Amino acid sequence: MYHQEVRNSNVLISLGLYLLGVAYLIYLLSGSTPADSTWNTLLWVTVFFGTVQLASRSFEFESKNFFYYFQTLVSPQTTIVAKLLFNAIYMLLLSGATWVIFSLFFGNPVYNTGLFAVGLGLGALGMSAVLTTTNGIAARTQGNPTLSAILAIPLLFPVLKMTSTLNLQAIVGVSWEDSAALLGSLAALNVGIGLLAYLLFPYLWQD
Amino acid sequence: MKNAAYKILGLLLVLYSLVYGMLTEVPVLPIIEESIRNLFYHVSMWFAMVAMMAASFWNAIRFLSKGNLSMDQRSVSQAEMGMVFSFLGLFTGMVWANFTWGTWWTNDPKLNGTAITILIYLAYFVLRNSVDDERKKARISAVYNIFAFIMMIVFIGILPRMTDSLHPGNGGNPGFNSYDLDNRLRMVFYPAVIGWILIGTWIASLRFRIRKIQD
Repeated sequence: MYHQEVRNSNVLISLGLYLLGVAYLIYLLSGSTPADSTWNTLLWVTVFFGTVQLASRSFEFESKNFFYYFQTLVSPQTTIVAKLLFNAIYMLLLSGATWVIFSLFFGNPVYNTGLFAVGLGLGALGMSAVLTTTNGIAARTQGNPTLSAILAIPLLFPVLKMTSTLNLQAIVGVSWEDSAALLGSLAALNVGIGLLAYLLFPYLWQD
Repeated sequence: MKNAAYKILGLLLVLYSLVYGMLTEVPVLPIIEESIRNLFYHVSMWFAMVAMMAASFWNAIRFLSKGNLSMDQRSVSQAEMGMVFSFLGLFTGMVWANFTWGTWWTNDPKLNGTAITILIYLAYFVLRNSVDDERKKARISAVYNIFAFIMMIVFIGILPRMTDSLHPGNGGNPGFNSYDLDNRLRMVFYPAVIGWILIGTWIASLRFRIRKIQD
């Protein structure tokens, strides 16, 4: 599993380039520092398309034969846990990098940095869990390359809506106690999605 | 007609709610006024939709555990019927919103929930169309159905409670509570919900039987 992921590590480089490109495009078009809520929205839209792009490759195999070989080698439970972990790490890196690049171009309006970081992290984890599952589904259909995006986008909205609300709170400086309920429900949602992915994946994987 | 009793009951209840909903006396509240009658026609659609989606979800689980293809056919028929209810609920809501709020669409958590539910289930049908093998199609779409239903419940059941909504009974609007307890409204609303669920079950079972014959 590990080697299969690391072999595709040029993904990270192309993703970095995507981030720089999009951030600079926004900078070029707006020409000024956006208001806080716009900053937050732009950040999430950038992260969103980056993660959808990134995760769409997570079940790519070199060949059909390699896929069958892989199936005999590792159990579906191991596969999904490994994919969830790898995608989570990628998404955390991606969202962190987006924050850094946005701070560079548009300044950093965040007041409660810790809360913002936790919100960003939880959002990245939730998105990676949803995307891993939907890409597992899309990979089994073979063909339609836009399918993974069609399946994932509406399912991502709950996670995105909660995290962007949380991050806007962090920007305006709401305290930890006041956003505890939202944090808790977001964390619970993430755990739920992860568990669901783990339980359902074996049904997808068998032939 | 097979199992005629529930079908006749459903027809009678819907007929009763359509006619008596117009005739019954309703509490007069500011802003809402007579449009409060939309409770019978609009809100009952959402109850019926959730019931259909829940049945579809239940049959998806049954398919995954038993592997019987007719469970999958039931599941997709019920999801289709749920979609019909969601569109009916959307249109009745938009007409009402235009009179009451002065706009067809607004950024309200319940409206967002509806939009996303429709997108999720449209994706479900796209997914079904992109797999040819029957058994594989059934298995993959059952997995997505389970995932989708749970996310839908989170979005329409949990998120709107965390933010204010423009809907009556939420936020700073004329409270639902004042007429929630009004028995004149309940006398029409509950029969309407039950009637539409029965009608939905009937149509879904017809769709299921057509599917079975086509096989």
